Amino acid sequence: MNQACTNMQNAIADHVLGVLSEEQTQALRSHLAGCAGCAEYLRQLEDHSKALIACGARVEADMAARCEKAIEALGDVAPVRVPRIVPLLGRLVRTAVAAVLILGAGIVIGRFTTPRAVDAEQLRADVQASVLASLKPAVLESVLAQVDQRLEASHTQMVTDITEQTHRDLRVFANELLSGTQTLVDRRFTEVVQLIEAGRLTDRRQVAKALDQIKTQTGIGLLRLAAWTEETPQALQN
Amino acid sequence: MEQRSDIDLVEAVCQGQRSAYAVLVRRYYSQVFLVCLGVVGNVHDAEDVAQDTMVKGLERIRQLRDPDQFGHWIVKIARNLSINCLRRRAAAERLVGQRRDEPLAESTAADDLHRAVARLPRDLRLPLVMYYFDGRSVKSVAQTLDISTSGVYLKLRMALRELHDILTAQGETP
Ligand SMILES: [Zn+2]
Repeated sequence: MNQACTNMQNAIADHVLGVLSEEQTQALRSHLAGCAGCAEYLRQLEDHSKALIACGARVEADMAARCEKAIEALGDVAPVRVPRIVPLLGRLVRTAVAAVLILGAGIVIGRFTTPRAVDAEQLRADVQASVLASLKPAVLESVLAQVDQRLEASHTQMVTDITEQTHRDLRVFANELLSGTQTLVDRRFTEVVQLIEAGRLTDRRQVAKALDQIKTQTGIGLLRLAAWTEETPQALQN
Repeated sequence: MEQRSDIDLVEAVCQGQRSAYAVLVRRYYSQVFLVCLGVVGNVHDAEDVAQDTMVKGLERIRQLRDPDQFGHWIVKIARNLSINCLRRRAAAERLVGQRRDEPLAESTAADDLHRAVARLPRDLRLPLVMYYFDGRSVKSVAQTLDISTSGVYLKLRMALRELHDILTAQGETP
């Protein structure tokens, strides 16, 4: 069978799509008159075109039924009530926020309960240094400071307070973060998480002990926080 | 019958008027479905994704900043969900080690054309499906996909030629 001329195939497709000018159509016609390959190519493309239209009609025929099915499937789905800010942030961000809070709380508890508070202070300073360098410093510092205050004030109050307070703090935090671009925020939080991981390795015992305290003393509050961030920090799972 | 504007309807939905969302779904379902079909390449998955799109649209409607842009917004959700669906399918196929070539539409015979369309690259299939399955308006395809009309014509030309090549190859290797 004759092949269509390579340099004519675009023009033939365009003709099928109806975009050739009068002149271009004339030129194509005179070529087709003497070229069986191209004439066959045109015929085939026109066949495909017709088949596609027929196929589209079949798909279209069931459209109304499909649409009604989709409406039925809405069931009792309703618009999400409060415009929640934090869930707009990526999972990583939320995990990191929880990690920073827990670490902050853990270090403070560590300060109370162990004679060697220096390592934890150093760790915290490291975290803060990086955080201060890469994030909106005032906001994060205030989050950590709030956690500290709550812890220092009273352990018994903390179960409810930490949830409420961090909820508010995180909203401010999230608002601040949203003013930056998401990728930037995600990247910076990756750095923070890495730093926290590094910190855990250098003073694992201290942090583990502190986290243990959190688990027993403030378990409910933190678990609620963890549930709220939709990610249970690993420290609470082991 | 008077035609309520998208703005009106979106606001009504936000205030809890469920019937208003049904009007929006009826207004945009076809467009959404064809975008899904154009991306995922088969009716069965397209139905699922289109349905999912409408659910997501209702859930997130309060996040829509400009109610006048509902059509654009819902199509964008449809495209994202369709691409996710393709990715999941590709991952599943890698796991099983084979690909399913489902026909584009239910047909008595497993039509060569349907299979060929399903085999087109996604960026060619989407404009082709939207053009041929929805009144052949290049302008409307261009608007929905947010590209120029000449861009649409170029894609359609490539899609037609590619489709022909696939069909020819299919014919040669039965
Ligand atoms: Zn020729």
